Amino acid sequence: MFFLKEETKVISLHPSYFGPNVREYLINRLNEEEEGRCTGDHFVICVMDMVDIGEGRVLPSNGQAEYTIKYRAIIWKPFRGETVDAIVTSVKPTGIFTLAGPLSVFIARKNIPSDIKWEPNTVPPQYTDHADQVIEKGTSLRLKILGVKPDVAAINAIGTIKEDYLGPL
Amino acid sequence: MLLRLPSSLHYPITVTSLLKRPGDEVQRDEALFWYVYQTTVTEGDGLGNKVDVKRKFPTRFESTVDGTILNWKISKGDVIDEPVEIVEIDEPCAHEVQYGGLCAECGKDMTEATYNTDITDSMRAPIQMTHDNTALTVSEKEATRVEEDAKRRLLAGRKLSLVVDLDQTIIHATVDPTVGEWMEDKDNPNHEALGDVRAFQLIDDGPGMRGCWYYVKLRPGLESFLQNISEMFELHIYTMGTRAYAQHIASIIDPDRKLFGDRILSRDESGSLTAKNLHRLFPVDTKMVVIIDDRGDVWRWSPNLIKVSPYDFFVGIGDINSSFLPKKQELGPLPEDKPTSAPAEHHVNGSTEMGDVSEVSTLEQLVTMGGGDNPRLLQEQSDAQDETIMHQVEDRPLLQKQKELDAEDDSIETSDSSSMDESPDTARQRHHLLVDNDQELIQLAERLEQVHSQFFDEYDKKRARGLGGRVAALRGEKALSKEKDVDLKLVPDVKDIMPQIKRRILGGVVIVFSGVLPLGTDTQNADISLWAKSFGVTIAHKITMKTTHLVAGRNRTAKVREATRYPRIKIVTTQWLLECLTQWKRLDEGPYLLPVHPDDRGQPISPSSKEMAESSWLSSSDEATGNESWTDTEETTELNEDILKSSGLTEVSPIGYDEDQQAAIHEELKEFLGSDDESESDSEASWAVDRDEVPPTSSPGKKRKRDDDATDEEEASGSDTQTEAGDVPGSRLSQRIKRSYERSTGLKEVATASGTGSAAGTGTGTGTPSNSGTDRDTPEVSFVETEEEAAASRNPDAAYPEDPVEDDDELEREMMAAFEDGGFDSAAEEDIGAENG
Repeated sequence: MFFLKEETKVISLHPSYFGPNVREYLINRLNEEEEGRCTGDHFVICVMDMVDIGEGRVLPSNGQAEYTIKYRAIIWKPFRGETVDAIVTSVKPTGIFTLAGPLSVFIARKNIPSDIKWEPNTVPPQYTDHADQVIEKGTSLRLKILGVKPDVAAINAIGTIKEDYLGPL
Repeated sequence: MLLRLPSSLHYPITVTSLLKRPGDEVQRDEALFWYVYQTTVTEGDGLGNKVDVKRKFPTRFESTVDGTILNWKISKGDVIDEPVEIVEIDEPCAHEVQYGGLCAECGKDMTEATYNTDITDSMRAPIQMTHDNTALTVSEKEATRVEEDAKRRLLAGRKLSLVVDLDQTIIHATVDPTVGEWMEDKDNPNHEALGDVRAFQLIDDGPGMRGCWYYVKLRPGLESFLQNISEMFELHIYTMGTRAYAQHIASIIDPDRKLFGDRILSRDESGSLTAKNLHRLFPVDTKMVVIIDDRGDVWRWSPNLIKVSPYDFFVGIGDINSSFLPKKQELGPLPEDKPTSAPAEHHVNGSTEMGDVSEVSTLEQLVTMGGGDNPRLLQEQSDAQDETIMHQVEDRPLLQKQKELDAEDDSIETSDSSSMDESPDTARQRHHLLVDNDQELIQLAERLEQVHSQFFDEYDKKRARGLGGRVAALRGEKALSKEKDVDLKLVPDVKDIMPQIKRRILGGVVIVFSGVLPLGTDTQNADISLWAKSFGVTIAHKITMKTTHLVAGRNRTAKVREATRYPRIKIVTTQWLLECLTQWKRLDEGPYLLPVHPDDRGQPISPSSKEMAESSWLSSSDEATGNESWTDTEETTELNEDILKSSGLTEVSPIGYDEDQQAAIHEELKEFLGSDDESESDSEASWAVDRDEVPPTSSPGKKRKRDDDATDEEEASGSDTQTEAGDVPGSRLSQRIKRSYERSTGLKEVATASGTGSAAGTGTGTGTPSNSGTDRDTPEVSFVETEEEAAASRNPDAAYPEDPVEDDDELEREMMAAFEDGGFDSAAEEDIGAENG
């Protein structure tokens, strides 16, 4: 699910950047460091705007200035039960690996409808029900997330397509 | 699943009541039954004293899993003395497939642990079996299921699995930017060979080498090889390179991804940077798997392995992805490709490096290196790898080599123009470093075909037998379609079939090594030994009647001498063994026979005087060839001289013998110590030999004389030895004295050979021992012939007269030059004469 979240970040700035463009520089820095980051809990999709840059406080001893920035960002936190669209990255006899944006989701064989079978003899190998449903590398899938596990700088998730309205798009 | 009691309870326990009935749902940590246990506790008795009392305590036992109770294995009132199975619980999910710490089927967190956790759920699926993902693990049951599916499919398609290594097996890659320059430069002598070299850039290759270019040479015939092989095998890539590297290579050798598909395993997923494990890909069984790799040690000489000879196109580069592996034991050069001083490499590589699992030192080494669970170590190793790659980019080893080659060419040209005028354009032709003449894949395809057909012959035979029985039983009901009737129990094992084929090749061969393995190597577990053993060879330490072959890395070792006494033993070069092993054929030993120095001809059963005279006649000629081999160790010559001096000091110590006697004693001593001498490391051994050959006490006068009339050396040496032969009646002692005399003539030869050898050694080094040796079938060749041959072979390549690099003893060199010039002229004349008519 997507959220607009207000967060704070402390950025220390080298004295050489002190000047009329401090603000721009801080914005750049913030965008660079935050956008696309995975905290383990959620993905930061986009920094919207800065609510408050605050006053820079020069640190004693090294002369760097420390800015505490409040900003708003769009984040995505995947939840159990959420339905997402994903792209298949590889198919294996044990299941399907997909990417839903930054999140890698694995669909185990058990969570694939039983009429869609593993077909290793094609090139590339695929899951297919020998009708219109073919799942191979590059296919778009709609899947439901069954479980999410945060890691240090990544999130692992498992999904299912064994429900109505799920499967290849 | 069946729930067992943990061993941590206070046994014996008495079950007092069961809380659940079959069919009930249980949650994890929910109580299953009550029990009482007895234990001793310390209590106060109310008077201030402490007493130990036995007490009974009631406790609940809690379930460790979720599910439905199926049936109880215990009942109320049972007294349980040891861990037993208590209840069978039907789990809704057995967590057989897990992804990143989650059960991939039900989505539960597998890493959760509570006070009640005996084994974490993540242990239920410990096996990684996908090529390109390490987060996915499966249970043994699931792995078996997947694998059986795969096997059925393969059998139906009459295929086997083939695990293919990349580096030096089917391709050769380098990061030396010289290659790129040569590819651009049409005038470069190597341009032609580099025609089909592919290049790609790896951007994300770590800091410090942004966008390093990789140059990849495909082994000749690779495309058709893969095409043919893929009809019989399902191909997998297993490489020590990074994922990105493997992907790039795969898209070069298999642009459509028809051959390999996604079946690529790189070191990112391998889990070890030093060893390859078939169970990573085939966790359950490896009956239908064949491996091709240029290294046996990383596979621990798995019986599924077909070792191929390494593809070494970019000379001297080696395998860019295995720099932290134990060094390869170089065992002699390939036939005519690069006849460099191979024996010299032995002591460089040194030490006991490889071996199989049973060898402790190797195992330890692999363990210390293969820190699969030690991320820091892995990091270090890959850092080291990066460093080697960076070095290669900076040092440009290929460029250096070509420069050397060019320099040598130049010096040859000058010598050519002075001596005779060959056609100028052939002389002008720059030698190119890179040669594109590898044939391995053709042979490899044959071997794979052989294994494949053998496997399915066996399978068909077994199946026919099985079917026949069933058909007889069911009478007439043989409508079983061929495709569907795939019985996994009948599948033969590649691990049986391949050794069977291989054993047939060299079965019954008993080999003794001599001068092949460095000092301290376990001859049973060395690389070559293990390889040879897989072909049915028996490795022995000592020469006995059972020995069939002596594989000699050098000439004139004590074992060679010993082996000559047994007429049955064939003394062959290492080349023979290597060729047999790579070609899967028992080759004729003829061309590989080692020319045995006549002096080393041990006393056979009936030594005839005629034979002896003959051998004495021929001695010097053979010494000329023999010496080349001893002095191959260019690097050690200086050292040798030092040693010679020091050993000379001890030898000169005044005992009451004259020179001859002393030499004779020396000889006797050498024979006595022969076996020790044998096991010495190469360099040491060669010193020892040199030392033996050159008793410093006996030479000077002779040497000067020989130098003076070096031009008509044949006569000189002939008369020399003949006169001696004259006063040799045939007794052992005198024979030895005679030998020692010949040795003294050998001193000069040593110097000569070392001079020419070093000159040749810096360049192409054509005149190596094994090569010139293998030219001759028998050691009894007339002197003239030898000299002629030697001169002829040196003539085009070696730059002996003036070599600028050489900083050897000035005087010695001059003398050498004089001698060589003389010999060379006459030889050249003869050559021309032979050519004209």
